[in-house]
Amino acid sequence: MPAFAAPLDRAILAGALCGDGAAQVGAAEGLVRAGGDLPADDLAYAGRLLGALVERRLACLPDGALLLAGQNAPEGQDAVTDARRPAAEARAPVLGLRQRAAVETARGVVALLTEGTPAARAAGLAVLERRITIVPAAVLDRARDAESDAALKGTIASLAEAAALSSPDPVRRRAAIAAVAASPSGAAAARLDALKSDPAYRADPAFRVALDAGLAQVRRAVAIGDGLAIVYNGLSFASILFMAAAGLAIIFGLMGVINLAQGEFIMLGAYTTYGVQEAFRRFVPGLLDLYLVAAVPVAFLAVALVGIGVEALVLRHLYRRPLMSLLATWAVSLFLVNLVRVTVGTQNLQFSMPAYVSGGVPVYADFVMTWNRLFAIGFAVATLFLTLLILRRTPLGLDIRAVTQNRDMAACLGLPTRRIDRLAFGLGSGLAGLAGVALCPIYSVNPGMGSGFIVDSFMVVVLGGVGSLIGTLVAAVAVGGANVLIEPISGAVAAKVIVLVGIILFLQRRPKGLFAVRRRR
Amino acid sequence: MTHLTRRSFVGAAALLAAPALIRPSLAADPVKLGCLFSSSGTMANLEGRLNHVVRMAADEINGRGGVNGRQIEVLTSDPASDWPLYAQVGRQMLQQEKVAALFGCWTSVSRKSVLPVVEQNDGLLFYPLHFEGDENSKNVVYMNSPPASSVLPAVDYLMGPEGVGAKRFFMIGSDYVWPRTINKQLKGYWKSKGIPETAWREEYVPFGFSNFQTLVNQVRSFASQPGGQAIVVLTVVGSSIPDFLREFANQGVTATDVPILGLDMVEADLEGLDTAKLVGHLNCWAYLQAAKGERNKKFLGDWAAYVKAKNVPFSADTVIDPMVSAYDSVHLWALAAAKAGSFAVPEVRQAFANLSFDDPSGYTLTMTGENNYVSRGVFIGSVNEKRGFDVLWQSADAPKPVPFSPYG
Amino acid sequence: MQTIRARPAGPAPRAVRDPLVAGLVVLCLVAAAALLAAPPTPYLVNALGQLAAFAILAVSLDLVWGYLGILSLGHGLFFAIGGYVCAMHLLAHGASVTGVLPDFVQFMGWKTLPTYWAGLDLAAYAFVLALALAGLVAFVFGLASFRSRVNGVYFSIISQALVYVAMLLMYRNDTGLGGNNGMTGFPLLFGWPMGSPRVGTGLAVAALLTLAAVLAGTRLLVGGAVGRRMLACRDDEIRLRTLGYSTTRLKLGIWCLSAMIAALAGILYVPQVGIINPRVLAPDLSIEIAVWVAVGGLGRLGGAVIGAVLVNGLKFWLSAAMPEAWPFILSGLVLLVVLVLPNGLLDLAALRPRPIWLRRGR
Repeated sequence: MPAFAAPLDRAILAGALCGDGAAQVGAAEGLVRAGGDLPADDLAYAGRLLGALVERRLACLPDGALLLAGQNAPEGQDAVTDARRPAAEARAPVLGLRQRAAVETARGVVALLTEGTPAARAAGLAVLERRITIVPAAVLDRARDAESDAALKGTIASLAEAAALSSPDPVRRRAAIAAVAASPSGAAAARLDALKSDPAYRADPAFRVALDAGLAQVRRAVAIGDGLAIVYNGLSFASILFMAAAGLAIIFGLMGVINLAQGEFIMLGAYTTYGVQEAFRRFVPGLLDLYLVAAVPVAFLAVALVGIGVEALVLRHLYRRPLMSLLATWAVSLFLVNLVRVTVGTQNLQFSMPAYVSGGVPVYADFVMTWNRLFAIGFAVATLFLTLLILRRTPLGLDIRAVTQNRDMAACLGLPTRRIDRLAFGLGSGLAGLAGVALCPIYSVNPGMGSGFIVDSFMVVVLGGVGSLIGTLVAAVAVGGANVLIEPISGAVAAKVIVLVGIILFLQRRPKGLFAVRRRR
Repeated sequence: MTHLTRRSFVGAAALLAAPALIRPSLAADPVKLGCLFSSSGTMANLEGRLNHVVRMAADEINGRGGVNGRQIEVLTSDPASDWPLYAQVGRQMLQQEKVAALFGCWTSVSRKSVLPVVEQNDGLLFYPLHFEGDENSKNVVYMNSPPASSVLPAVDYLMGPEGVGAKRFFMIGSDYVWPRTINKQLKGYWKSKGIPETAWREEYVPFGFSNFQTLVNQVRSFASQPGGQAIVVLTVVGSSIPDFLREFANQGVTATDVPILGLDMVEADLEGLDTAKLVGHLNCWAYLQAAKGERNKKFLGDWAAYVKAKNVPFSADTVIDPMVSAYDSVHLWALAAAKAGSFAVPEVRQAFANLSFDDPSGYTLTMTGENNYVSRGVFIGSVNEKRGFDVLWQSADAPKPVPFSPYG
Repeated sequence: MQTIRARPAGPAPRAVRDPLVAGLVVLCLVAAAALLAAPPTPYLVNALGQLAAFAILAVSLDLVWGYLGILSLGHGLFFAIGGYVCAMHLLAHGASVTGVLPDFVQFMGWKTLPTYWAGLDLAAYAFVLALALAGLVAFVFGLASFRSRVNGVYFSIISQALVYVAMLLMYRNDTGLGGNNGMTGFPLLFGWPMGSPRVGTGLAVAALLTLAAVLAGTRLLVGGAVGRRMLACRDDEIRLRTLGYSTTRLKLGIWCLSAMIAALAGILYVPQVGIINPRVLAPDLSIEIAVWVAVGGLGRLGGAVIGAVLVNGLKFWLSAAMPEAWPFILSGLVLLVVLVLPNGLLDLAALRPRPIWLRRGR
């Protein structure tokens, strides 16, 4: 294993990174160990090489290594001499998992010590935090001393403190336990738990007290974090159910039509979103990140138009025959799925996910709030308010409610019930289109994506009580929550079965659902 | 366009004679091959590609003059991901169209549906997928590997020093026989290595399941417990694969924290995902697109050209293992038929013994007379940023397939 | 409850004789005789047998939907019960003759067939069990639903959820009936090898004869007093109830009968197709049954048969011949029927004028 003492022998490093797996790991680990002492330009150099290795731009020749501008480039710069050389016979090594982990850690060290911006240094620190046990104290000390950003400096300091769990100094050790306990996680609990077998645990009462207290604190925090995760998971599942069911609730409540094409309307909403994305890519690539926002009105209107078209062409003739309208919407759904399949193809659509819907942020202990789910929750809440606003505060909403409650009387009073039906169907379809937008960051978008929603969303509508949007909301939260609560106990399949059986039993006792709207027929 | 016209003739008995009238120069009627791959329903995105690749292989063979002096005609169908319909269409192909061989099925259940049909009619089904093993019908040619010769090497790799030294295993699968068999055999294998039962967990989800939040939470908490490096052995199928990967990445877990070994994961599953956060996760197949060698280069070029020429509705630059397996199977059949000098199933089957074919993966496929399994190489792939897989490891040669696992 | 029981006044609502059904019954008998005398290709024999099984299934749904106004989107459940019990019988019978356990049983790690399979190798017991089980499930579900007056689209949705739950349950490997793969590889039927042409012909003939019997039986039922009550219940249940009839009992009885007929169809279907798996429990399939009935002609037993045969015949043919076009043809057919031909294809033949209830609707 080459020694990576200052100054760095660049040829040896390049050779090791081109070597076998063990040599690569050795080089990367050597860099981590020596990270505290190496001069900045050596670190930056190592960082370039490591980056190239990860991106498969490091091409290995029998007599050295080349840095390529891009993968499979025909020529590159020699890693040691900077001379340009052809890369024809070169081999770009693929990192195994062990090598990748070691290289990632080494890159983290380099980033923490050499990057220009606090954000980039913080990213490096985040990598090191995951493997804190192998990061030498010297690296963290050096980083802390050099850090100009006050907040980051504090983070590094507490991490350095926490890294001293096996320090010989009992005071530093206790401080380390407190520091570990201050950022609780399952991994922290495991680290502290491992200390119980430490001889000091028996010998040193102060240490034992500190460890027990720290462990209890971490465990409590982890339990709270898990609880938060359950709530969050339940809410996010409920919001998806609600989005899928809201449009149905309006259509079913108003017209008694079982719209089996609702899932396909969701799919159309997602495809519209894709269309908007492609239009952005083509015409305003600079604003690409905003396409999801722009897709909201477009998807709503587009799918609402499709819905109005279906109503005008098909369902209008079938209001007196709800069971036939069910078959008609089934045919429409079959048609739409296959139309999209034939015209666009069966593959999953490729979305570029803006930062606000990808990744997540650790909130508390092990609870990570994922942005795409938060987006869906926010979306569902916004939809709820908007729909309530339309139903409660607009003339159309008044009309819809009137027709829902008593169609004949509303007609007698001069309401154009057929027009209202059509608009309401448009509204319900548009809501499905919105659900399609919200689902793009969560699920795969393909022609068959809508078929999975139909049974679940109908159960939510019926459980909530037909014609009651609030009922739909409550039912969605109940179903989502129940699923998430049961799943860890009995597995995902049984959870679904139990929840559905529960709904069926409930509906046998209360056929009108949770919140029945009083109506006359 | 010729095959399109020809396909629409199928079944219309009155028109069946038409090709002969149009092309009287042909000495003999073409020999028919049947495809059982869905182009609609849940399997469409995966199976749909295989129809075209079978055609492509048939065109290649026809270009060289066909087999035994006869051209090949490929009949396609759409069983619509509806399992009993596979049996129905298979029966129709064998009994009505008298196809010489069937190429088809992706899921185990569709193969099981067709199995009685090919056995009763003494047909031949070339099955291009890796699968659960424990089956050995003389009427099915298992083109891909049973678990003992594909999954175990990959798991071994992950447990070894070159991999991550995995000690603990979280198995997540779709609830059906393939994942359950794989996991059963893995457990048997780990037991034989003295790994305690506490070192693994097993969870199953329904088909098409997509809400993976809770499971990913569980994986994270499983991985944070002491006892050594944890990995996920992922045997979910279909749309559950991208949905799982997306949630996994969004919760901030990377391959260097907890690697996923996705046993049914192919390039097509990465379509639509941002793979920058998934780099390093693994799969294992008998072919990867990144396989080295001229044969693969030629195959990829041929496929891209074919997609362009025939307006195939699938990506020109995505090639997955089952496509190559389907392609190989047409060639193997043609080789066997040529060797037998006949299209009759018993004689073709006889000719399988000691057959070999140099396929795009770079390995030489071989068959023995003992069973209808095919020896293939093993690749372990690693997800890269470009929604593909890099070859991380590959076996030195093509291991002999083990139909019946000793571990389960 | 039934103290006031008025005889329906005036002419009977429809002719007791139904030439269409009579014709179909004769056709079934002739076809069965023809199969026995000069069997065509095994493929056609098998297809004919399957179509007959589907036709029985369609009749069972038409009985409750067309004549009682109850649209079940869960009839696949009863079909599957028949199919599963039949498959269990075939496997148990095969195991008792050959001594080889079915492969899914081996997969589960069981050394013998589970105890609840006891006796299933006896065909008569399996037959009775299938019908009884379907009837029992239908009874429990129907009793709960009809007593709490769940009807119309609510009933449809809940029955759909029921079949969906059943599908999820059967997909579970641990449920123990083969999971997703279901059951296949039936070796023998009454000691005869499954693949032989004679067995195929026998099955098809049995299916055709059963279809004839079911048609004749249900025709007798709906043509009589019960049939009149069913129509009355369909057109105005509240009025019938007010008149003192127990509509719950009526609906429950017919519902259970329909479930058992569906199970009968399942029993005939499985040995012909050679596999049973949870796919038959998919909500789609149950909707498709309704499509057959609607396409052929709702409320006419003959219509259900014609619809089932037509749609499935087209499906068999077109999934191979024009795979791209088939879904469009099916959806177009359904839209055409529901929009233009409210009584299904029977309208084309103008066999009778549009019934009043369809115009009034419910």
